[in-house]
Amino acid sequence: MKYDFLDPQALARLGAIPLEARHAMTGNVTGRHRSPHRGSSVEFAEYRKYVQGDDTRRLDWKAYARSDRYYIKEFEADTNLRAYFVLDASGSMGFSAADDARIQFARKLAATLAYLIVDQGDAAGLSVCQEKIHLEIPPTRRAAHLNHIFEVLSKTEPSGETGLVEALHTIAEKVGQRALVIILSDLFCDTNALADALQHLRYRKHDIAVFHMLDQQEIDFDFERPHRFVDMEDKTSVVAEPILIAEDYRKAMQEFMHTVQTKCHDVHADYHLITTNQDYEEIIHNFLTTRLPKKGKK
Amino acid sequence: MSFLQQSLLWGLFAASIPIIIHLLNRRRHRTVKWAAMEFLLKATRESRGKKKLKYLVILACRTLAIAAVIFAIARPLVGGFLGWGGTRIDTVILVLDRSASMEQQASYGSGGNRESKRQSAIASVRKSLEKLNNPRLILIDSATGTPQDVPSPDALEELSATSATDTSASIPSLISNAIDYVVENSPGRTEIWVASDLQESDWAPEQGRWEAIRTGLIDLPQKTTLRVLSLASPAQNNTAIRVLSSRRSGDELVLDLELTRTDHEGPSAVPITYSLNGARSSNKVTINGQSYQFQKRLPLGNRESVGHGFVSIPSDTNPRDNVSFFAYGEDAPTTTYLVTEGGEAPTWLTLASAPPGFGRSRCIELAPNNAHKIEWPGAALVIWQAPLPQGTVAQELARYIEAGGAAIMLPPRGESETTFLGLNWGEQTISPRDQYFIINEWDQADGPLRNGAEGTAIPVPKLKAIKRRQIIGEATTLASWDDAQPFLVRRIIGDGTAIFAATLPDYTWSNLGDADVLLPVVQRMIAVGDARFGSAFAAISGSSQAKTAAGEVRTRLDSHATSTTSNAAYEAGVWKLGDRLLATNRPQSEDQWQILTKNRLGALLEGTPYKLFEDQGQSDSLTQEVWRAFLIAMLVFLTTEAILCLQPKVGNSKS
Repeated sequence: MKYDFLDPQALARLGAIPLEARHAMTGNVTGRHRSPHRGSSVEFAEYRKYVQGDDTRRLDWKAYARSDRYYIKEFEADTNLRAYFVLDASGSMGFSAADDARIQFARKLAATLAYLIVDQGDAAGLSVCQEKIHLEIPPTRRAAHLNHIFEVLSKTEPSGETGLVEALHTIAEKVGQRALVIILSDLFCDTNALADALQHLRYRKHDIAVFHMLDQQEIDFDFERPHRFVDMEDKTSVVAEPILIAEDYRKAMQEFMHTVQTKCHDVHADYHLITTNQDYEEIIHNFLTTRLPKKGKK
Repeated sequence: MSFLQQSLLWGLFAASIPIIIHLLNRRRHRTVKWAAMEFLLKATRESRGKKKLKYLVILACRTLAIAAVIFAIARPLVGGFLGWGGTRIDTVILVLDRSASMEQQASYGSGGNRESKRQSAIASVRKSLEKLNNPRLILIDSATGTPQDVPSPDALEELSATSATDTSASIPSLISNAIDYVVENSPGRTEIWVASDLQESDWAPEQGRWEAIRTGLIDLPQKTTLRVLSLASPAQNNTAIRVLSSRRSGDELVLDLELTRTDHEGPSAVPITYSLNGARSSNKVTINGQSYQFQKRLPLGNRESVGHGFVSIPSDTNPRDNVSFFAYGEDAPTTTYLVTEGGEAPTWLTLASAPPGFGRSRCIELAPNNAHKIEWPGAALVIWQAPLPQGTVAQELARYIEAGGAAIMLPPRGESETTFLGLNWGEQTISPRDQYFIINEWDQADGPLRNGAEGTAIPVPKLKAIKRRQIIGEATTLASWDDAQPFLVRRIIGDGTAIFAATLPDYTWSNLGDADVLLPVVQRMIAVGDARFGSAFAAISGSSQAKTAAGEVRTRLDSHATSTTSNAAYEAGVWKLGDRLLATNRPQSEDQWQILTKNRLGALLEGTPYKLFEDQGQSDSLTQEVWRAFLIAMLVFLTTEAILCLQPKVGNSKS
């Protein structure tokens, strides 16, 4: 395959599991996802009292016979899903200890999920953000559109400081219809600002999924000798003795992860903490299966 | 502390390796690109202070662990005796106390047998010398007092110069000898080791020569440390017996004996064996208290005029004081020279100095102008009732007193302008009519007016004087008139004693001639003067009298023990020395168990480089290798380092 972040076999395996929206979506066309509006699907939604102006063809005469009152029988509307992949392309996403660089891992996740989404008839778009939104591809359902997404992913290189928060606010403002926003980032930014951005998205009734991508070394901080640590975003550096700071570093990192997780749960985001040494296929599998509706509930 | 492998201490530089590695690591850091910089900076800010201290402690532990290993392999020696700073020594001068009190058995030796303080000291010194790689050893033993080269410390225990004796020890003399040796021979880096039980009589702290010793030690050309090995553990379960005197009384031999014991809790019966001319008898004496004096009469069946024997008690913790020897025979007469102006006084003085029936006492009366006829070496007492001597006679009399003689100076009837020994006679005073000068107070514990052995006081108040003479000058007052004027004063010059009495045994002066006071004073002064000769048959072990004169051959007569020839002069026993019969015993001071306190020892050696090691008997060496302690210290340091290096367990942060 042309793109090294796509694995056809993995796509084939994962294609059997649909991507479900956890909230009602507002798409352009009929699809497999629940809509907030009433429609003409076969799925019964509710009875409501007849009011003047309702189409008399939708009166439930059997209910009238039983109760001598006019009821309108309403059905659920099904629509398609529009997914926005927000890829953080700041310098920190280029971090790599032993495994794939974080950006490469993000490419795999984004590309595979985009393929699956388009494949099931939904629309996929992409936002690549650095200090400000760098590139934005609006979501479409066309298969040819995927190629454009893959092309952008392959050419995206991490650099500069993060513009994730601004990107999320922009998406929240620009995207009027309910959509699935999938964030792929290390979230190394101000957590309060991030929480505000997520809250903004949630306010706009978007379904949010967060892939919090960290490297295992960033969590363990298992250095032994003194190192000069160079910031990947602003290039500042500091010489530190791991034996002196490891404990405090780990404590700060755990605190950060806990804060991010809490903030995501507060906005009912689908939060996934992943490390780049994990199998991305397994991560997507878990992501998809955990979103499947519970038994007896669509 | 000293080290057997001192050169290995250079390895202490290795202790700097952790510090060097630390510094190199700081310089040779790797550069990594890091994304989570925010947390790194936060941790760096927070990890100063406590963490840095922890890391410094870790670094210190590593450094100390290496230092401990180096110290351990350098084989450190401790044991207060050598102490810190005891490095390489070229010569050790061992001053060994061989006095009788050093035979006190204090501890158990390696074989499980009780060993004496002397043996313990020798063993300790020998092992210490081995650990110091056997420096040259010079032995100065307390019996001979002369330095001798000891080829090997192993020979110490075999030398006759380290064997037991019945002598006392003059530690000041021995230390002086050691100092003289260092001055004369310059034996390199030297230490003087004194092994002693710190018996106060041996150390004689009151002697003025300690000042010279201190000065001598400080002024030595090279720094010479004086190390005192104290074996001053108190004597326990020890009883001593001593023959105070032995004399013939008709067909009996009268022995004045004294038992002394260290423990005096309740009465105890002590079996005593008497051996007289080979015939043995025994009885039990109950002692109740610390000492007990009693008399024993032994029948002289064979009527021989000369004989010998010993008294002994069962062996206890000090076998040296369990026997006391005696010999008897015809004593040489004691001679009193009476220099008098005449009158009534000479009569009473002659009677008091040579009472009828005391065949061995004689009194030779001389006029003042014949005083030069006195045979000073043979005089036990000189009574001078005349104007104080001057010129040659005064010098000879002073020399006689200094050499241990005794003199009684009585007031002259006429004028006396001369001063003798810093004293002279003042004016005569006569008591008011029908009144007498009487003695108001006198020294009942010391001097010729002291109480008797049984505590009976001399009837001094019976003395009444109508005429007296003032005594002018500085002297110790032994008795005073009721108006606080001195009646009897004493001057001690050298080894001898002179007393001045303020009245005469003359009816125109006083009733001194009634013998209540005069007789004990004169006889006791004779005893003082006679003591320098000693008895013809008794002597102190190691004294000049106990040594063989030219042409004399020493033969041991008693059956109590045998002696080696080289050590015989220092052992108690009954000896035939040429024509002389002599019983030698340990000096009385050896039965006094007063120990020199640490403070007094410190005062004696104040300002000198001295160190005290108190051997309590637990250690068989003055030094101990303590490498184990350093290895343990190393383990402690490494364990501490490991604990500090343990990182707190990090929980699995993956969701």
